[in-house]
Amino acid sequence: MKIMKKIMHVLFLSCLKATELIEKQFQVKLSVKEKIQLKMHKMMCDACSMYEKQSTFIEHSIEAHQHHHPSTNELDTEKLKKSIYKKLDNSK
Amino acid sequence: MENKDALSSWVNDYTTDLYARAASKVSDKELAADLVQETFLAAAEKIDTFRGESNPKTWLFSILNHKIIDHYRQKVKHPVQFEDNTLAQFFGEDHEWKESKKPGTWQVDNETNLLDDDNFNSVLKQCLDALPETWNICVKLKYLSEKKGDDICQELDISPSNYWQIIHRAKLQLRECIDKNWFN
Repeated sequence: MKIMKKIMHVLFLSCLKATELIEKQFQVKLSVKEKIQLKMHKMMCDACSMYEKQSTFIEHSIEAHQHHHPSTNELDTEKLKKSIYKKLDNSK
Repeated sequence: MENKDALSSWVNDYTTDLYARAASKVSDKELAADLVQETFLAAAEKIDTFRGESNPKTWLFSILNHKIIDHYRQKVKHPVQFEDNTLAQFFGEDHEWKESKKPGTWQVDNETNLLDDDNFNSVLKQCLDALPETWNICVKLKYLSEKKGDDICQELDISPSNYWQIIHRAKLQLRECIDKNWFN
């Protein structure tokens, strides 16, 4: 049984390796071999398929989060502007 | 003289936007204000090289981005280390998911609305902040500089495989944190 599992892991990846490839593919193109292995793995593994979906969602949400500014009213940028004017004058 | 006037009007027009951007990238407000100030000082020095080829706003934002990246780069002076028990939290010795850690279903009715939701964003921020600092920086840099992984590794002086490992671990933790604090 153990040997069987080992063979399966070599052919179709372990969940640990599969989730690593899922992260890797967000940044670089996977090799053809990696792509096929990952695809086969996901066909057999619901948990990793779910992981990929959720990880993609997290990618989107971090990206959206960078542009999300909920409360801009608390920042006093007038004060900041004044200080920048002063610095610019001094630097001339 | 003309340059100086242009710069003054840019301070007036763009400070608020630049500050909002900086504040979303670094959690410290004072630091964000400093970075905006440095951006304008750098712009004043370099203004002769800016010949209106791009939009001033774009130009200022790119200077600010460099300032933010510099700030993070200085923070990560040493090769990134991690204790390797993160993966063991999620996967068994056979490298399969631990039964209790298997990702379950997330109910997302409308992704666009959720991504814009203030409460969801504060949970996400809380989860990002909970990551070990160097991981947090790696994740942030990835979205900050539209750069590919390789360039980020170079800037942080870490090897690409080290970088994947960091992102992989960071993502596993983030996923679990969001799962616990939002979807349950």
